[in-house]
Amino acid sequence: MSSDTGRLGGPLNSIADGYNDRFGQVFGELNGLQFALIIGSLLVLLLVPVWAPLLGMSGLLRTLALASIWAILAMGWDIQSGYTGYISFGHAVLSGGAAYTTALLIGNVNPDLSLAVTLPLSVLAALTIGLVIAVPSLRLKGPYFSLVTFVAGLIFYQLTYAFSDYTGGELGVRVGRIDFTVGGFEITTFDPVMRYYVMLVPMLLIAVTLLYVARSNVGMIFVAIRENETAVSAAGIDTTKFKIWSFVLSSIPMGIGGWLLAHFYGTVNPLNFLLVDRSIELIAMAVVGGMSSILGPIGGAFLVIVLREEVLRIFGATGRWVMLWTLILLVLVFARDGLFRKLWHYLGRLGSRDGGEN
Amino acid sequence: MISAVYALIAIGFTMIFGVGGVLNLAHGALIMIGAYSFLVVTSGSTLGILSLPTGIGLIVAIAVAAAASYVLYIGLVEHIEENPVITFLATLVVALILSELFVMGFSSSPRTLINLVPGSIHVEQFGVRVTNIEVVGFVVSWIAIGLLWYYVTRTDEGRSILATSMSERGAQLTGVDLPKIKARTWLIAGAFAGLAGVFIGTLQSTSPIMWLDPLALAFIIVVIGGIGSIKGSIVAAYLIGYLETLTVELLGAGFRGTFSLLVLVIVLLVMPQGLFGREWVHE
Repeated sequence: MSSDTGRLGGPLNSIADGYNDRFGQVFGELNGLQFALIIGSLLVLLLVPVWAPLLGMSGLLRTLALASIWAILAMGWDIQSGYTGYISFGHAVLSGGAAYTTALLIGNVNPDLSLAVTLPLSVLAALTIGLVIAVPSLRLKGPYFSLVTFVAGLIFYQLTYAFSDYTGGELGVRVGRIDFTVGGFEITTFDPVMRYYVMLVPMLLIAVTLLYVARSNVGMIFVAIRENETAVSAAGIDTTKFKIWSFVLSSIPMGIGGWLLAHFYGTVNPLNFLLVDRSIELIAMAVVGGMSSILGPIGGAFLVIVLREEVLRIFGATGRWVMLWTLILLVLVFARDGLFRKLWHYLGRLGSRDGGEN
Repeated sequence: MISAVYALIAIGFTMIFGVGGVLNLAHGALIMIGAYSFLVVTSGSTLGILSLPTGIGLIVAIAVAAAASYVLYIGLVEHIEENPVITFLATLVVALILSELFVMGFSSSPRTLINLVPGSIHVEQFGVRVTNIEVVGFVVSWIAIGLLWYYVTRTDEGRSILATSMSERGAQLTGVDLPKIKARTWLIAGAFAGLAGVFIGTLQSTSPIMWLDPLALAFIIVVIGGIGSIKGSIVAAYLIGYLETLTVELLGAGFRGTFSLLVLVIVLLVMPQGLFGREWVHE
């Protein structure tokens, strides 16, 4: 195997080096195999509409579109919880809040509001909710913080039933699909292929942005807060300010993700948006993929969604959840650093050995 | 009256946190296990042969929940408890698995438990009607709390639990067998949850989502009362119990938890250590 990867690793490494020279400073250095993994998955994702029908899996387009949205949410969670170590268990409230803002605007104000209105307002709503939760709860540390965010999620869930005159209670509110024109070309999410790209492109953009942020000084301060908050504040850095910033950074993708998810389902209801399970699913994706890595949660999201929507269907409607949670539990116990981080480091070792020995 | 039952739940939750530093998010699921065990052995509808008297059902519920709690600790939590976040997540995932399993086994629609003591008393002076089950829940809960109090303050075994919650290292130095103490604490907490499950299941509902509300309440109560403090849990349970009853009475059931959360936020801002919280004893 090593000779195989050795032959492969040579040219790959030289391409990767070209990348490292240009972007290594900003996004971190890669070796040939890691670079190949990234580019390979990117190509696979971009070309899904080409290969999925060939394999007779057209349904995969829907699944992967959904996975893209969840990847946005998982990354949004990661930049806040994964990096600062303040684990939030109520993050679905942010995306749910954005989704409900869209729903309320469309349902109660004007059904023809354009996305130029609903998207910014939804993101703003996510931001506001994020700050409302963050400011009091960030005074707490560790599990206490997690507790309070968890309870906030529960309360928000209950409120959608309490105000069912506006939110439609369990049934939710219809929001319809996305429909807009760019340069005379109509883009609508009624078309599965277009819908896929409408979900995938923002995901990739957010991934690049968050990777950039995570590798910048701000990201370093987040990690430093996680590792030793006292030391950070002793160095003269206002940790509260940065913790709130992490929430802001997280709320924006959560808002966008919530808005996309609202239009993906076409209906905003508590079950798909606010149920505690959703917050946990979000965290599970990030942890399964590998916390505080931005790319890990993307992998985790695709893995969990593909399992949930495609593979585990054989166990029946309820059975698949049991299986999914059981698998997640196993990962938590036996591979708590995340599957994709393990793969990444394995490739890292493999790649560097090629360079040295062969 | 229901406040005493809330206190039971919160005490179990806070004991586990005090002794092991573990937030057991599966605590609500243990309540659910208690309620469903009671259902299975008493109703006769699930297993035809089994329709035992309710008193035995109560004991079975306590035993099953205690055993489940013990297995949860030995089988899972003991191996991951050094990482609080993973523990938090893992216990929550266990709760979700159990919840889905109950959906599979009993369908997602709520079930009715056989009332332990049917009937009600009319209190003439206040013009209110109190159901017998509420009275029994109140009395039984207080007996359980009293027994626990006696156990942790008057017996050596119990005092070692108290000692561990104050200082793990100190307890170890005086010869306390730590893993055994932790397992025993989980056993007690499970028993309390099972007991509470029967009353919650009768008074509110028995369904696969019944684990959530008590769990949220336990959090709120425990944080307000001060994490790790049994006395705080009791006081806060009454505070939240009355607040909740008032809210439901005045605004409707949809707002059940909202004001409790407000109180929680205020308590966190004004006194983050809770009403009876003590400073963390450093390890």
